[in-house]
Amino acid sequence: MTFDDWYRQDRLPHIFCAGCGNGTIINCTLAAVDQMGWKKDDTVFVSGIGCSSRAPGYIVTDSLHTTHGRAIAFATGVKMANPDLNVVVFTGDGDLAAIGGNHFIHACRRNIDLTVVCMNNQIYGMTGGQGSPTTPRGCFSTTTPTGCVEMPFDLCELAIAAGANYVSRWTSYHVKELEKAVKVGLETPGFSFIEALVQCPTAFGRRNKFRQVADHVEYLRAHSLLKAKRDRLIEAGEAVPDDMFVVGELARRKRPALGVKP
Amino acid sequence: MILAIDETRCKGCNLCTKVCPYKIFKEGKKPNRRGIVVPELDRPERCTNCRLQQLYGRTLCGVCQLTCPDQAINWIEEQPYELKKVAIEY
Repeated sequence: MTFDDWYRQDRLPHIFCAGCGNGTIINCTLAAVDQMGWKKDDTVFVSGIGCSSRAPGYIVTDSLHTTHGRAIAFATGVKMANPDLNVVVFTGDGDLAAIGGNHFIHACRRNIDLTVVCMNNQIYGMTGGQGSPTTPRGCFSTTTPTGCVEMPFDLCELAIAAGANYVSRWTSYHVKELEKAVKVGLETPGFSFIEALVQCPTAFGRRNKFRQVADHVEYLRAHSLLKAKRDRLIEAGEAVPDDMFVVGELARRKRPALGVKP
Repeated sequence: MILAIDETRCKGCNLCTKVCPYKIFKEGKKPNRRGIVVPELDRPERCTNCRLQQLYGRTLCGVCQLTCPDQAINWIEEQPYELKKVAIEY
């Protein structure tokens, strides 16, 4: 079996723009789910509103397409009602960090047994390119035409501080690493959060000098700093570059989890 | 097994040309019926996964298949090789 068996073949091709990274993240997540050997009847995909949240519509299992920002709230309900189900949440940065921020930190605090895959395209793609809480400083969007002046959210740091059991961050270039990270997240009891930075050629790249998809993917590759390398830099007393983001497994803990069968 | 691009799904983003370690995918030249420039395959027999996945029983590289955002790349069974008669001139 491959991850292709988890797609609804009658719904493909999907509506994402040419070059959108969301399809890549769905591939990696489904490949990890496929390796877990779960039954399709026992798996539920939950999502909110946004580009990324269209993903469960293309997956053959049962799914919930819920209100904006409340994906984790609904997923908590699903998991508590039936702890036998395996619940995976697809969400985006506008969904998770902006309107659903409070649900996110409280799900981390409760440490409920969910796996959250956040496709962070650093912009509100579906509504026309408004600035989101994770838009980097100086980047252009519809609502920040002279460059974003606010500091972006670091979702992984937020999840670690709030108490998630497993936190990692990869990009849409690191497909194999992302697949392994999602698999570890699915295996970990408790809240696992995987942030995947994706390219958005239509809303983000068009305004930020990444007109070609490959340029943006190359930017993601070149500006990702492995956690081990970051630790080495700090140990040697050297400065960590400001424009780079840390990728890798950022937290792995064994806190008591909610919603796990004894 | 042989590498194949599903033209009904490909949207022409050319991400496969970037990620393949053997540079098997080349940017296409002619738009197809839907107006999409589908990448071309340059000697697909070089692909490791094509040759060895049945021997090893697992996917060996598969980065293009995972990366393709439109699920257009997969490996299909090859047609059996047909013997051809060749006239040798002395």
